[in-house]
Amino acid sequence: MKASIATNQTILVVGGGIGGMTAALEAAECGKQVILVEKNPTLGGRTALLYRYFPKMCHPTCGLEINLRRLKGNRRLRVLTQAEVTEVSGRNGDYTVKLKLSPRYVNENCTACGECALAVSGQMPNPYDYGLSQIKLAYLPHAMAYPQRYVLDPAIIGTADAEKANSACKYGAIDLAMKEETIELKVGSVIWATGWKPYDAAKIQPYGYDRFANVITSVEFERLADPHGPTGGKLLRPSDGAPAKNIAFIQCAGSRDENHLRHCSRICCMASLKQTQYVREAYGDDCKSTIYYIDIRAIDRFEDFYRKVQQDPTVGFVKSKVARIAQNENGSLILHGVDTEGYHRYATEHDLVVLAIGMEPEANGIKLPDDIVVDSSGFIEGSKDGGQFGAGAAASPTDVNRSVQSATAAALRAIQVVHKTAAVEVA
Amino acid sequence: MSEMKTAAYICAGCGIGDKLDVAQMEKVAQKEGKMALVRRHDFLCSPEGVALIKGDIENEGVSHVVIAACSRRAKTEAFDFPTVAMSRANLREGVIWIVAEGAEHDEVRQEMAEDYLRMGCAELKKMKLPAGNPNKADNKTILVVGGGMAGMTAALEAAETGYQVVLVEKTGELGGWAAKLWKRVPFRQPYREAQETGVAELAARVGAHPNIKIHLNSVIASTSGAPGRFNVELAQESGATTTLTAGAIIQATGASNYDIARLPELGGGLANVVDQAGLEALAKAANGQPIKRADGREVKSVVFVQCAGQRDEGGAHLSYCSGHCCATSIKQAMYFKDANPAVDTVVMYTDLRVPGMGEDFYRSAQEKGVIFTKGRASGVTAAGDVCKVNFRDLILDEEVSLDADLVVLATGQVPNSGVNIDLADDDPAKAQQVSILNLNYRQGKDLPQLTHGLTDSHFICFPYETRRTGIYAAGPVRRPMDLLQATEDATGAALKAIQAVENANIGRAAHPRVGDLSYPMVRLEGCTQCKRCTVECPFGAIDEDERRFPVFNESRCRRCGTCMGACPVRVISFENYSVDTVGNQIKAVDIPDEFSEKPRILLLACENDAYPALDMAGLAHHTYSAFVRAIPVRCLGSVNTIWITDALNSGYDGVMMMGCKHGENYQCHFVKGSELATYRMSKIDDTLKQLGLEVERVASYEVAITDNARVAALINDYAAKIVEIGMSPMKGFG
Amino acid sequence: MSAHNSQAVERYRNDFLREVEERVEEGQWVKMCMQCGVCAGSCPFGPHWQHSPQKLFMMIRAGKRQEVLSSDSMWMCTSCYNCVVRCPRQLPITHIMHGLASYAHRLGLAPKSQPTREFATMFWNNLAKKGRVNELKLTLALYFKDGLVSGIKTALGMQSIGLGMVKAKRLNPMEILGGHGLKDLKGFHAIIAKAREIEDKKKGLVS
Repeated sequence: MKASIATNQTILVVGGGIGGMTAALEAAECGKQVILVEKNPTLGGRTALLYRYFPKMCHPTCGLEINLRRLKGNRRLRVLTQAEVTEVSGRNGDYTVKLKLSPRYVNENCTACGECALAVSGQMPNPYDYGLSQIKLAYLPHAMAYPQRYVLDPAIIGTADAEKANSACKYGAIDLAMKEETIELKVGSVIWATGWKPYDAAKIQPYGYDRFANVITSVEFERLADPHGPTGGKLLRPSDGAPAKNIAFIQCAGSRDENHLRHCSRICCMASLKQTQYVREAYGDDCKSTIYYIDIRAIDRFEDFYRKVQQDPTVGFVKSKVARIAQNENGSLILHGVDTEGYHRYATEHDLVVLAIGMEPEANGIKLPDDIVVDSSGFIEGSKDGGQFGAGAAASPTDVNRSVQSATAAALRAIQVVHKTAAVEVA
Repeated sequence: MSEMKTAAYICAGCGIGDKLDVAQMEKVAQKEGKMALVRRHDFLCSPEGVALIKGDIENEGVSHVVIAACSRRAKTEAFDFPTVAMSRANLREGVIWIVAEGAEHDEVRQEMAEDYLRMGCAELKKMKLPAGNPNKADNKTILVVGGGMAGMTAALEAAETGYQVVLVEKTGELGGWAAKLWKRVPFRQPYREAQETGVAELAARVGAHPNIKIHLNSVIASTSGAPGRFNVELAQESGATTTLTAGAIIQATGASNYDIARLPELGGGLANVVDQAGLEALAKAANGQPIKRADGREVKSVVFVQCAGQRDEGGAHLSYCSGHCCATSIKQAMYFKDANPAVDTVVMYTDLRVPGMGEDFYRSAQEKGVIFTKGRASGVTAAGDVCKVNFRDLILDEEVSLDADLVVLATGQVPNSGVNIDLADDDPAKAQQVSILNLNYRQGKDLPQLTHGLTDSHFICFPYETRRTGIYAAGPVRRPMDLLQATEDATGAALKAIQAVENANIGRAAHPRVGDLSYPMVRLEGCTQCKRCTVECPFGAIDEDERRFPVFNESRCRRCGTCMGACPVRVISFENYSVDTVGNQIKAVDIPDEFSEKPRILLLACENDAYPALDMAGLAHHTYSAFVRAIPVRCLGSVNTIWITDALNSGYDGVMMMGCKHGENYQCHFVKGSELATYRMSKIDDTLKQLGLEVERVASYEVAITDNARVAALINDYAAKIVEIGMSPMKGFG
Repeated sequence: MSAHNSQAVERYRNDFLREVEERVEEGQWVKMCMQCGVCAGSCPFGPHWQHSPQKLFMMIRAGKRQEVLSSDSMWMCTSCYNCVVRCPRQLPITHIMHGLASYAHRLGLAPKSQPTREFATMFWNNLAKKGRVNELKLTLALYFKDGLVSGIKTALGMQSIGLGMVKAKRLNPMEILGGHGLKDLKGFHAIIAKAREIEDKKKGLVS
């Protein structure tokens, strides 16, 4: 990738999740030159790690497949993975962006044949399963990974495994000498689609995420439900592998809380309602899901889904923010609190507790350009000069549908920026 | 069209050369596939391999290429030859990765690979490189219907991007719902105070924009044509008519308030009970001073009843939540507190729904002293000069009442979506509905509705995946929403409308087969005017002429091939996807005789979900029967029954079809392709019986993209079933 | 009805929330509660009282003045601060509980035989007398609050602890004679009186 390929007519999209892919594709399908940068080795972002979407219970990878097909067929869109923006300078219509490219140690020759992974023995916690499984140090992130090329984790470099991977590859695809690079690009507009990350559940001390094996987050629960996940789609307790049939879902785990995240993360109520249906799908009538909530925020026609779940006899609702969790000797968890509708104290045992974890901007903790305006939770509003935009879950806590809506809107605004630059140049 | 020169390239990499006899395959490509050029390469996707192919295209005049290597979903950057027709024989994910290991499987593995090669060659010879739609559809004007916040935003954003815009508004002024507001819920931080609506400024910018032409007091009398060439007739209030042309349409017709008169139990109809619009009117009249009731008395106490006539379980009112009303009531409660902090303001809710930074707005109202009561109102009555609100306090768990000078009912949004085209024509409800777009489409006058009268897309990843190409709904007509979301939505819709006109201009398909230059071609001389194609097209792309022949509007078409699947006389085809491209693949498979104990199972798999699932089954090395021959199809809706009957006649032992989930939560991006296929196949049972075949010989499945293990299991189960019922008696007659 | 109470009733009529805001320590936070109930579940005394903090807050908003001020729940608060650290709205619930208790006491509405209230009253009266706590007198007053017989029984039961404390010079038996106090007792009493006056004025508590 040469810097000269990009011009001030180029739109840079930062983040290759569904928001970033959408912004990039929509702009490219309007005929614009687009560069999409993703810091991980694959596109797809967090939605690729979800099992199903609410309210249709359809599969995120279905949309990902369509988006990847759009992307493969579009010559105006370039993808850089393992690329992070380190600096943006310049102004609306004429930015210079510095990118740090981390080495993949695998080049375009890779056919994804998988021989390198078979050859190496070193493993690490699988980031694409939120650490619930192990993955080889030479790995393909997941079945829908794009680019469909293996990656060597930097930890492998200098070990015998690195040489094993190298000699297992028949296609000269492994390049252990790859180095980190910094490149500069000229772009006209920047869309920040850096997405979100789950709030650090261990900080919610009374819930014991860091102490109790069977307290997990909603994103981890998605991995349990996914047939591609660590349990092959079975809902099993991390502590002993026993079926989790009596599950508590705790809402506002981090969200709506001045001690943690000030905002409501919008998606968590619907996510938990959806996840109760995973439990039902797995166990039929022989299960129990309990949602502990403050307000069920099933907005607009999602109400239909909420009603459907309310009618499910395996699902119960308790209007309460759980006060604390204790673990008993068999690894089950006792939830303590008060149902505020009429004031009923409870101490209820569950096999597994799923924290409906809040959404924090992924860009939190990352140095954004000075010009960028963020709100009190760190969601990106855009740049003061009007040439950079927040999109999707980077801009506000959103579900996929609204993220795509926001990304599509951001794409148009970015197009307007480069159009104006072009108009000025012609004049 | 220059002369066809075919070439097959067989890759021996990724273990293909180890598991298969590639030399033998070269012979198959030459002798059976009749390829003019056959080459083998040990690493075809390498720069050298790609250069080899490119060299042949440039120097040898190769126009048609078979890549016998990995799946069509893999290595697309390497195998990117836009000037030639190309088919891919899937030897890696489709053969060597899924056939069980071991020498005892060598024979069936080789047969499978050779068949895929034969199929690739057979398909290729029927393919043409699509040249694009010759129909001129070059109008790039964006027509926006509705002059509210969403409509004005869409118009302005499209105009700012350099497109001509026509904005049609049925009333005498721009502004819609937003213009009725005293203030709006904040769009940006700090999320503490209500903000100016900005409607007047927006309307002024729209009015002054050189790219925007506005028609007030106008409605659409008729719309015909297609993206890039819509003809629209406007009817003005005065009786005058105007005709105009447009390339794409944004329908931003907004929502009406649910009729408060339908809520007598909550005091609808009482003098001092208003809806949120009524309260905005009082606030506007007060102009920042303390708010007065209609009778002029200053309001000292007010109760907001949330979800009035919404989230209704009984079916009498709206069943959905309108999303904006909690924040709107909070804003309105602030009107009172800001003018006079001593006014008692109670917001009565069951679930307070203020997502995102709305939480700040909620906190701000609490700081101002607005009281939030979790309670369910059971009735509102007049009591002297005040209203009595009876309710169940859900926290204190008791039936109580409150007196208030004024009660505000937070009623919901009812989309202004026109005619529900799915209602039967003789349905009296349909007769009462007034069309918005007055489309002259065979399939109805307005956008299809999804649910509750909303015109939303059915898709989560694709909120603009409209069922009428080039016509995009934006704002609360498609989904209940607040002003902020309506402006975002309108901006997104403006982009999609721009794409639609650009696509139409060069004859390219819109989403999801974006960029596809093929389009349905029909041999009208063979057409029997059966109308199946016009009825079944999920996008209303096909009209009928006065002789009842189908009229294809290519720029409305999404290239799913449902028409091709529907056509009983097989006169509809695409240049690169036709009854022949698939039919020839089916025929190309070598069918062993009845005594071989080698059944052949045809698998028609939806290219979006089932085929990727098969690929991923390969990636995960789930083994499945080597007797199956998979063909990706654009949609199961494109499956023509001739393929099935031909397959069975030529001795296949079974046919499997894998498509998307159908029904209420359908996942088919072509709406009902898989449903149609299932329906059509239910009709095939009689044919099977006539042929003396078991009905199990044709089976259809709903498959999701995540079903990688399941597709393998389904194939194995089906293969076992075929063994059970025995080989087809039809072998040798085909 | 105490004079303070009738004055408050007159002044605030229906608006108990405003009364609490203006007159109860940290009472301005009550309106910020969002009824999540985490305080209710976090209180170690939870199973023993009638109204949880969040419920009291709702009762205040609902104008249940008599019920709130005569509740014994806020008297049970042991200041463990569990509720405060967990409250998602960062309400100083412990302080509000004490504020409510104190206000109810001032108005004469607090439950009469509530032990915390009794002890707190005793403690204050003991302290206010000389500016120093007379531990011996306080202890004895506490032991004998329910009568002579139970007082003697309790005192005997605690005998060894008492003697131990005397030995360790933690308790001076001579305090029974009056005990030590501040040097400027008059000044101290004046300070207390002035503080009360200022506070009453601030809160509008006029007798």
